[in-house]
Amino acid sequence: MLIPSTSDLLALLPEILLCFGGGLILLSASFSEGVRKYASELSLLVIVLAAWARVSGPLPGSCWRGMLSIDALTVFVDIFFLGALFLSAWIAGPYFRKLKIDRAEFYALLMLAGAGAMVMASSTDALSLFLGLELLSIPLYVLNAFLRETAISIEAGLKYFIVGAFASAFVVYGIALLYGATGSTSLIVIGDSIRHGHAISPLLALGVAAIVGGFGFKLALVPFHGWAPDVYQGGPTPVTAFLSVVPKGAVIVALLRIVDGMELLRVSQNWLLAAAIIAVASQTLGNLVALVQRDIKRMLAYSGIAHMGYAMVGVIVAGIDGSTGVLVYIGAYTLMNVGAFAIVAYFSNSEKEAHLISDYQGQGWKRPLPALALTICMFSLAGIPPFIGFIGKFMIFSSAVNAGLIWLAVIGVINSLISAFYYLRVVYTLYMKPEPKQEIAVDASLSITAAAALSALAVVILGIYPTPLMAAAKIAALSLLR
Amino acid sequence: MLETHLLSFVALSPAVAAILLGLVPGRKGQLVRWLSLLGSLAVFFLSILVWLGFDPDSGGMQMTEKISWIPQFGINYQLGIDGISLLLVLLTTFLVPIVILASWTSISDKVKGFHISLLLLSTGMLGAFLATDMFLFYVFWELMLIPMYFIIGVWGGPRKIYAAVKFFIFTMVGSIFMLIAILYTARQVFSATGSWTFDYSVWAIWAPKLVFAGFSSPQGLAFLAFALAFAIKVPMFPVHTWLPDAHVEAPTGGSIILAGVLLKLGTYGFLRFNRVLYPDAWDAARPVVMILAVIGILYGAWVAMVQPDMKKLVAYSSVSHLGFVMLGLAAGTIASTQGAILQMVNHGLSTGALFLLVGVVYERRHTRMIADYGGIATVVPIYTAFFLLATLSSIGLPGLNGFIGEFLILSGSWSVAPTAVIFAGLGIIFGAVYMLWMVQRVFWNPMVHDENKDLKDMNLREILTTIPLIVLIVWIGVFPSTFLSPMEAAVRLLLQH
Repeated sequence: MLIPSTSDLLALLPEILLCFGGGLILLSASFSEGVRKYASELSLLVIVLAAWARVSGPLPGSCWRGMLSIDALTVFVDIFFLGALFLSAWIAGPYFRKLKIDRAEFYALLMLAGAGAMVMASSTDALSLFLGLELLSIPLYVLNAFLRETAISIEAGLKYFIVGAFASAFVVYGIALLYGATGSTSLIVIGDSIRHGHAISPLLALGVAAIVGGFGFKLALVPFHGWAPDVYQGGPTPVTAFLSVVPKGAVIVALLRIVDGMELLRVSQNWLLAAAIIAVASQTLGNLVALVQRDIKRMLAYSGIAHMGYAMVGVIVAGIDGSTGVLVYIGAYTLMNVGAFAIVAYFSNSEKEAHLISDYQGQGWKRPLPALALTICMFSLAGIPPFIGFIGKFMIFSSAVNAGLIWLAVIGVINSLISAFYYLRVVYTLYMKPEPKQEIAVDASLSITAAAALSALAVVILGIYPTPLMAAAKIAALSLLR
Repeated sequence: MLETHLLSFVALSPAVAAILLGLVPGRKGQLVRWLSLLGSLAVFFLSILVWLGFDPDSGGMQMTEKISWIPQFGINYQLGIDGISLLLVLLTTFLVPIVILASWTSISDKVKGFHISLLLLSTGMLGAFLATDMFLFYVFWELMLIPMYFIIGVWGGPRKIYAAVKFFIFTMVGSIFMLIAILYTARQVFSATGSWTFDYSVWAIWAPKLVFAGFSSPQGLAFLAFALAFAIKVPMFPVHTWLPDAHVEAPTGGSIILAGVLLKLGTYGFLRFNRVLYPDAWDAARPVVMILAVIGILYGAWVAMVQPDMKKLVAYSSVSHLGFVMLGLAAGTIASTQGAILQMVNHGLSTGALFLLVGVVYERRHTRMIADYGGIATVVPIYTAFFLLATLSSIGLPGLNGFIGEFLILSGSWSVAPTAVIFAGLGIIFGAVYMLWMVQRVFWNPMVHDENKDLKDMNLREILTTIPLIVLIVWIGVFPSTFLSPMEAAVRLLLQH
């Protein structure tokens, strides 16, 4: 048996902290009332520790015998993963207290999922990638069904489980085919054999297609998007916040490592076209269907489909430009989406399962701060300056223009225009519709408001001064190139 | 600090004021109004300092500021002012306090939100006039969108949401394609110079080198993308349809700022960007622009003529007046361009005054229908006098501002496009017809509605709000050179491109 070296262990310290911290909370909560009560706060502490370990820890690059690469890219995305994890755990405390089902298991599972995402995003080997994917997915199946007395939550969990199992099967199958075609599970070796080799063999093509299909499920790209609205709608909102950004970020980064490493899209025009069709279809379908949604969580599910379509444009462009754009986009998307879901959690209350946009009528004047945070997130999602969403779109579309793919940029901006309709609906419901006669019962939570305000503030500040984010993303993207 | 960053102070202090206003408790409406008024007056004062320090003999950008903002793309926070933007900046800083005064009593609900929106909007407008970096311009351009959306949508009339969303979407349609054109041109400039830059002065050298061979060539498409954004804003026929809705639904203050300044950003954009960056395409498009401008003049006038609603009438008159501006820009002689720029200011003043005055009676009677008035001249003499002056200014009576602008535009365009001038001249006649006909029906016809018998005349605040507009209307009419001479060098320089 191979014994991992100290440097390997150190490189993986954040993930280890999350797993062990989560496990410890889980165990001790079963006999300690104090841990049960403060599980949320304890988990926040562990997450902060993990973030600190990642930021100040070593950057060995390739480690664990080439299974993982802890590099600038890892650090960049992990900060956003941990940030999303932190905010989700933060809003989960008051949210579950509102619903009177605050349980320590929740935080343990959430942290495990976070660790899974981090492993996945740093994987340079198909097997560690798969391990990460499962560690990310299995806790999420449970978490989605966490409101165990609510039918739609259980439905969400089940749906996510069945679709997720399919996706995992796709990925495993693809890995097997890749191994068959190249004799290795190392993404680097596979990439080299594509670059230095010849035409893509049918076996390899099938393998890549299966993996991309599996990833497509996780990203909810068209035509693998069917699960998203129901799962978003049914799951507990803090889980949805996490689910809507972290798995997607992890999968996108894995995709970047594969696509950039293999220069797949430069090998074949057909691949490029296929990816472009998926991107365009996701944007268009996501935005068009989002237009008619009345439940804000379903709307955000469809908007998420569209956003991953935009991100795919950057993946297609690849190279430094495209990858930098994608990374900035993931960062932007994380901030604004988590902010939006935080406010959805703010407005949720125990009696109702629907999260109708019309429930927000006139709340802009009644509850200025949460409404302002939601408004900022909506404008940012629509890609309007001076918010970070605009910078993300600017970078993605400019990379497409630079790569000569102007048509992709044009389709992208037209889609942004369509999306403005439904984001605006939220805004005008908040500010321009009269407040209903009957007061809307909201268990106002200062803590959730603070979490949302924090995201919204980041959306504004990074939107006005994006330079540090862009610089960090570029350094991260550089580590993709070999 | 103030001297070296004067333009930043002008552009950004409204935003700072808006943020500070955010800290004032919302229920103290009167305090909010005063603070907002003082803030906007301070900005006006700063812009006067700009005017005093401005060198009229130089045509280039003055008082420039440049700070690296997004170095990865060579994007700078970069401001500058020339004679053209000077006038528009002054117009903006002049109108904002007037809007605040005009909204003093008519905006009584959510006062704080209104003033924050208005101040943020000011920053957007001033920044767009002052930006000399294309990315920065785009950001300021879009920054205007959100506050104006709120001003229409929150404080507007019965169909406010429809009008606000329509305004938002129309503007966004234009700006997204402009964004693509900006990205594309940036890429081409990058290829030519080897470095990323969004600097307007660098673009003015390199962007014209884009290949032009018809409107499907690179320069043609980039031109069209910019033109669409600006044509919607102007608004030119046939993309003007958002304007009547926006004006009718917007509160008085919103209408003043919309007609007074926002529309000018469209014409300013044509002059500053389309003409300079894509000159070949501009030359090829000029006949079409002139035709659309003349259609706009006549169509706007005819539609205005049949409007039963005073505000809608003034809104359509804007379509007509902005047609004159576009005609002057498209003709492209020095006189016609100067006339066009002056007419932008004139329209801001006279239409601003008209919207303001319509708002005055609306606040009293809650109707803007011409048929609901009649014979009120004897009841409200001061109001009548002001309204008449604004009307005469709008229809171009010699001695008032409108005449100077229209005269320069038409005489300057004659050598280029006599036919267009003849049709546009008809537009002036129609303009006189619909305005005077409205005045007749509102003020002189026999009084048929008893409610109007005890209509109150303008109070001191309303008079004080209107007087500055009237003073400028007369000033420009009598001494146009005060405003023409600072822009002359800039116009000459710009037309050389």
